[in-house]
Amino acid sequence: MARALLLRIARCYPPLPTSSALSQPRPLPPPLLRRQAPSPLRFVPAFSLPASSVSTSSDAPSDGGGGRKGEEDGAEGGGYVDYLGMSDEELMGQCEMGTFKASGPGGQHRNKRESAVRLKHRPTGIIAQAVEDRSQHMNRASALSRLRTLIALKVRRPINLEDYTPPVELLQILPLKSTIRGKDVGPQIGPNNSKFSPGMQALLDLLFAVEGSVSDAAKILGLSTGALSRLILSDDSLRTAANELRASKGLKPLR
Amino acid sequence: MAWSSVGLDPASPSTSVPFLPRRTRHFPVKPPPAMAMLSLSSRPLASLRPNRPNPPLHRLLRPKPLASTSASALTPPTPLSDPTPPPDADPTPLFLRPATHPAPAAALAAFRRRAAALVPPSAPHLHRHLRWLLAAAAAAADPSSDPALLRAPLGDLEAMWARHVRDRRPFQYVVGNEHWRDLVVAVRDGVLIPRPETEAVVDMVRNVEGFADGWWADLGTGSGAIAVAVARELGPEGKVFAVDVSEVAIEVARLNVQRYGMQDKVEIRHGSWFEPLEDVKGKLMGVISNPPYIPTDDLPRLQPEVGWHEPKLALDGGKDGLEHLLHLCEGLSSVLKPGGFFVFETNGNKQSEFLVDLISTKWSSSFHNVEAVLDFAEIKRFVTGYRR
Repeated sequence: MARALLLRIARCYPPLPTSSALSQPRPLPPPLLRRQAPSPLRFVPAFSLPASSVSTSSDAPSDGGGGRKGEEDGAEGGGYVDYLGMSDEELMGQCEMGTFKASGPGGQHRNKRESAVRLKHRPTGIIAQAVEDRSQHMNRASALSRLRTLIALKVRRPINLEDYTPPVELLQILPLKSTIRGKDVGPQIGPNNSKFSPGMQALLDLLFAVEGSVSDAAKILGLSTGALSRLILSDDSLRTAANELRASKGLKPLR
Repeated sequence: MAWSSVGLDPASPSTSVPFLPRRTRHFPVKPPPAMAMLSLSSRPLASLRPNRPNPPLHRLLRPKPLASTSASALTPPTPLSDPTPPPDADPTPLFLRPATHPAPAAALAAFRRRAAALVPPSAPHLHRHLRWLLAAAAAAADPSSDPALLRAPLGDLEAMWARHVRDRRPFQYVVGNEHWRDLVVAVRDGVLIPRPETEAVVDMVRNVEGFADGWWADLGTGSGAIAVAVARELGPEGKVFAVDVSEVAIEVARLNVQRYGMQDKVEIRHGSWFEPLEDVKGKLMGVISNPPYIPTDDLPRLQPEVGWHEPKLALDGGKDGLEHLLHLCEGLSSVLKPGGFFVFETNGNKQSEFLVDLISTKWSSSFHNVEAVLDFAEIKRFVTGYRR
């Protein structure tokens, strides 16, 4: 993956002239998301919009261009883009990368590792960043992985319940006792696995389609309501997203 | 400080100076406009160029193996004069020493408290450095073991930390490495710490058609970061000549080449700029250099981490900072093969513009597609071009 990122960077030199709100002076915000901590994310009530028009005003209040409809990468003839199915390189290609830069002459003049990386996913306006590692290389990889999680949490794709079959990414995160989960699906994938995000996205898509009802979603997935609740509660960011979704439908939060 | 947006669109427009048409050798050449900007036009250019390939400046400023407290006229005063040798005089970088010093958890916790207490409120980033220092000093195996195994006695670590906080000794010299691209480059006093801006040089090299099987030279290789990073991308025929005049740099570069197993791809040569490359004249696919480019007059105002601790040899570019860059430009055409590529890092906008103008007018018969390339902070940091 790291290699793919470098290839990506290699093709982008020299950088674009400053073009967006990213260049405005702004203090370094704290990392957006940690799986193990209560999620500081806030969600916009735009669950019904297609992927290309999800905006994240909470992350970039000054960024008017973040969620424009029909941006070049987003809309594909009314279809819904599977961002999480893209390779790191493809996803990176849809991002503007911001680095935390110091003013001044730079180069040999300066000893300061400004290794923070901030990625803005152009089609969705979602912003992910990483600051904690010494290496910008590592921070870039962390930011990209966070971006995948954020896309899973924020980008809703409509489902037609009439002829719905849960995608394999979703089956993979279900507990083994699910009655619709075939033997060939393999072991259950947990929140620390990078393949959890696509499953989480599909689960939230389903939950959105059934108006936030965990029992309805559980029936479709061949699980008891309790088992699906436990799955949702097993990951902080998933729980927060599910509860935001339920709140928007006037339902009580899962605990 | 601000976020700089770096576009990732491969089709992003280049902001380089437009390509200048070829001129014949006898075409009268006017001084480029940038010369006037740098107020050099009153003097023939030759006066800026060293007559000898190895100017006496090199010898005058040759650094001692460890950061010297013997101040030259250029050295800003060091705040604390420490008569005792530093406790970490071991030339092996901390992160590569064996973890043989047990430290009980309680002692480690007490060290952490004392070290954190030294951090001034004005420098909160030092708390992160403390975390990184402990991570570099501890054996990787089990961080929670009691006693922890450290790569230096706790007392030494404490002295090293104090020198970082009080004397502004660069953190990279304390732990002995810098994270650069996907490499962990060993560094120590006497060798320039590779800068994040310079990472882009490797990408430019990789964009050169057929680069992988060419011979490259990294002039003034320092820690060898560029040479190792380029070597790792090369094919079976490819090779890098890593040249440096500093013996410390040669040692450190050798260590880094070994650490990444690039002995077959990187040939280290001791000497000044083109001097050790006589036998490969006209055979190089590319020349890469991040030479000293800071104008001598600017040296006293450098950030203390740089001005007090990094080697002047690697920073001092002489008057206007152009001394070595001009020498490099002059030697290019004789070492590069036709079609060969060069990339130099510079002090930024003015220097790059000056060099682009100079090369594409004075030496237009030898080079084409000469342009200034932006760094991530949108400063014209690099000059690139091709030999005809």
